[in-house]
Amino acid sequence: MKKSNPKLIIIISSAIIGLFIASQMKLNLELITPVTVKSIITAKNELSAAKIELIELEKLVEQKSEELYALQNIATGEDNIIDIIESDLKMNKMKAGYTKLEGPGIEIIMFDNLLLNNNVISYNDDIIHDVDILNIINDLKVAGAEAICINEERIISISEIKCGGPIIRVNDRSLGAPFTIKAIGDPKVLMAAVNAPGTYGDTLRTIYGIGLEPYIVDKLVIPSYKGIFTFNFAKPMEEGE
Amino acid sequence: MVYALIGILIGAIIGFLLPYTYNTAYTLYISVAILASLDSVFGGIRANLENKFNTKIFISGFFGNAILAAFLAYIGDRLGFPLYYAAIFTFGSRLFDNFAKIRRLWLYKEKPIKTKE
Repeated sequence: MKKSNPKLIIIISSAIIGLFIASQMKLNLELITPVTVKSIITAKNELSAAKIELIELEKLVEQKSEELYALQNIATGEDNIIDIIESDLKMNKMKAGYTKLEGPGIEIIMFDNLLLNNNVISYNDDIIHDVDILNIINDLKVAGAEAICINEERIISISEIKCGGPIIRVNDRSLGAPFTIKAIGDPKVLMAAVNAPGTYGDTLRTIYGIGLEPYIVDKLVIPSYKGIFTFNFAKPMEEGE
Repeated sequence: MVYALIGILIGAIIGFLLPYTYNTAYTLYISVAILASLDSVFGGIRANLENKFNTKIFISGFFGNAILAAFLAYIGDRLGFPLYYAAIFTFGSRLFDNFAKIRRLWLYKEKPIKTKE
């Protein structure tokens, strides 16, 4: 009896092992490999990138279905194609800067340092330069400005701001100080972009003593671009393969 | 050795026939536990061949090792560090150790022990 004991126990215990092995095999698992933190992070990044792509694709689908809807309306005769094209034209003109715009935003009045007895070494530091205006406008654009003008000269994609001695030239027109920069956008953000400590506007005002007075305006009017602009060199690229 | 194989076969057949399965989350723990108990069975065979088999030691080792291995795997999961490697290395190397001894006992021992097995 004692001699059969070990074998029996071994058989029983191996049977238990076999039971577990069989039930595990039944699960049909894929091979589990150890995962490192790095691979988890990469997988996470991939996942979030894919999610963003998905959202963008959904937006695209929405946009395309809207277009399809418009085209269907044209086909059934409910909408006039001319109306649609006209609204398109309006939108494009607005984007290009050929439309007078209004909205909330800020107005900045900039003037040269008017103090007579200041301890700035060079008189150059007392006056406003094209670079100052450029930097302020760039800050405004970063802050999400949708339309900008200087002294009623609209800034569009090809507008230049260049030094012309005591004046600056914008859109081939000469402008003199004081400069009034208007920008439509989120007033708080725009205000922060020129007024917060450490910004270019703050440096101009506190270090160089140049006058820079931003005001929040609820209803700004920004004029349209008045010049004539034609493409001489650039041509639209053929779309396709 | 043969008994172990027979036992595993019987268990496997029963396992395939029974409709029960467990949660996939526990596979890692079960795998490590299987390795640990397999090592115990090999140890048991070896002890049997050496005529040193002790039921208490065998049973406590069989279940104790399995539970400890599964527990290590679980703790490792909680801590985010694969502690079950310890169990895999230990029981894996011991498994081969035991098997080597079993082979030697099998091949070079006198007839009586061989028939016993």
